Amino acid sequence: MFLTRSEYDRGVNTFSPEGRLFQVEYAMEAIKLGSTAVGIQTAEGVVLAVEKRLSSTLLEPNSVEKLVEIDEHVGCAMSGLIADARTMIEHARVEAQNHRFTFDEPMPVESLTQATCDLALRFGEGVEDDDEREEEMMSRPFGVSLLIAGVDEKGPALFYTDPSGTYIRWLAKAIGAGSEAAQSALQEAYYKSMTLSEAETLALRTLKEVMEEKVESNNVEVAVVRTDTKKFVIYTEAQVKECLSRLENRETH
Amino acid sequence: MIKLDVFQPTFGLDKEEENVVVPKEELYCSTPLAPSLRWNVLSNNAPKDLTKFHHGTTTLSFVFSEGIVAAVDSRASMGQYIGSGSVKKVIEINKYLLGTMAGGAADCTFWERYLGMRCRLFELKNKERISVAAASKILCNTVYQYKGMGLSMGTMIMGWDKKGPHIYYVDSEGTRLKGQKFSVGSGSTHALGVLDQGYQWNMSVEEACELGRRSIYHATHRDAFSGGYINVYYIGPDGWKFISHEDSGFDKHYQYATEKATQQQQQMSIS
Repeated sequence: MFLTRSEYDRGVNTFSPEGRLFQVEYAMEAIKLGSTAVGIQTAEGVVLAVEKRLSSTLLEPNSVEKLVEIDEHVGCAMSGLIADARTMIEHARVEAQNHRFTFDEPMPVESLTQATCDLALRFGEGVEDDDEREEEMMSRPFGVSLLIAGVDEKGPALFYTDPSGTYIRWLAKAIGAGSEAAQSALQEAYYKSMTLSEAETLALRTLKEVMEEKVESNNVEVAVVRTDTKKFVIYTEAQVKECLSRLENRETH
Repeated sequence: MIKLDVFQPTFGLDKEEENVVVPKEELYCSTPLAPSLRWNVLSNNAPKDLTKFHHGTTTLSFVFSEGIVAAVDSRASMGQYIGSGSVKKVIEINKYLLGTMAGGAADCTFWERYLGMRCRLFELKNKERISVAAASKILCNTVYQYKGMGLSMGTMIMGWDKKGPHIYYVDSEGTRLKGQKFSVGSGSTHALGVLDQGYQWNMSVEEACELGRRSIYHATHRDAFSGGYINVYYIGPDGWKFISHEDSGFDKHYQYATEKATQQQQQMSIS
């Protein structure tokens, strides 16, 4: 991809003469190897849907976790290196709880996203531990991208974060291997006045288009944050089944 | 000795504190006498052990067949001075966990809120609720790190987890005890007297709540540093429930006095 690769793609803290940080750009490539995840924001709430790659029938499907709760009102979908995401999510959860402790209110989704992204460009940096000793934390950028969905005082919000620490708000966003096709599918079908259940169907339809396997209740995960309850809920397999049957009904008619 | 002069309060500016003269009476007395009047609120030089905002208290909790009852008073005192008569001494850590407040009010609220945060993080990480044993241990370990640095708290951490109802007593010295029945604070002895007398394993929730309430009433009656309102909570399998908030004063006094009188009358008519 980078034909003029030079020694500049080695160090994480060195710009190339063209002004690029190759390691960060390579990290973005890592996400394109991950499974597809989709997020859609509507007035009624935000939907997150992810593909689970079940490489073997012996694999326990519910041990593959790509949707996680950060706090009561915020959830997150991930694509890329899942181990890296765990570090970020642990950080995000502590930030969210610290916010509640200090201000006695839920953390705004944007602040939480920003707090999570603060971690993204701390590679190659020594971090002081409890005893104020410098400790090497991480030596490379995170190879993961997150879709952070939540509801706060300002209403529902969907944020996309990448390894460069950038965060952008989207109405509908796809990440991962099938993201290009998925994003254009979302572009086609999305409209602002969507209901939450329409958004669920759209999310699953988008995944269906880009997934190699047939969409089933055990190889996709769906979660929503509803505007009225302000609660993040991961759907059970039965609820996912219901969404899928709704999708099939729509397609046959 | 410093003269107490309400019209020209010293506001702690006097430096005579260093050579405090022990009153003669106190030299011949086995227990220290009540703080003399010169330790008035107008002077900032209150004796060290009375500088804590919240020293007089009665709190109790006990396990019985249907769960846990917690009952507390609501008085906050600084020595002779009553700071507040309407303090919430039961701290709601989360839906299933309660803590009580005795000692420093700020210490209790702060560290139990901190405990609430830790419990929530535990929940997010482990996808299940924390046990009462683990929660109380977090608090105990935290305060132990600050041992000898002036923390003052005596608290009961109680809740319902997988293994049923549990109460742990945790204090700022680092003590952590599991038990069925606890009472903490200056009125605790009075409360335990009534509680032990009336306690039975097989009580209804109403009977248990009334026993808790009556124990606190008797403590507020005899202990000058306890009073105000009586708050009662019940913890069942579905988490805690707020039961009642009642004045511990005249109404309660005459209610119990009348009950006692009718009982005596009945006994007399039987004999």
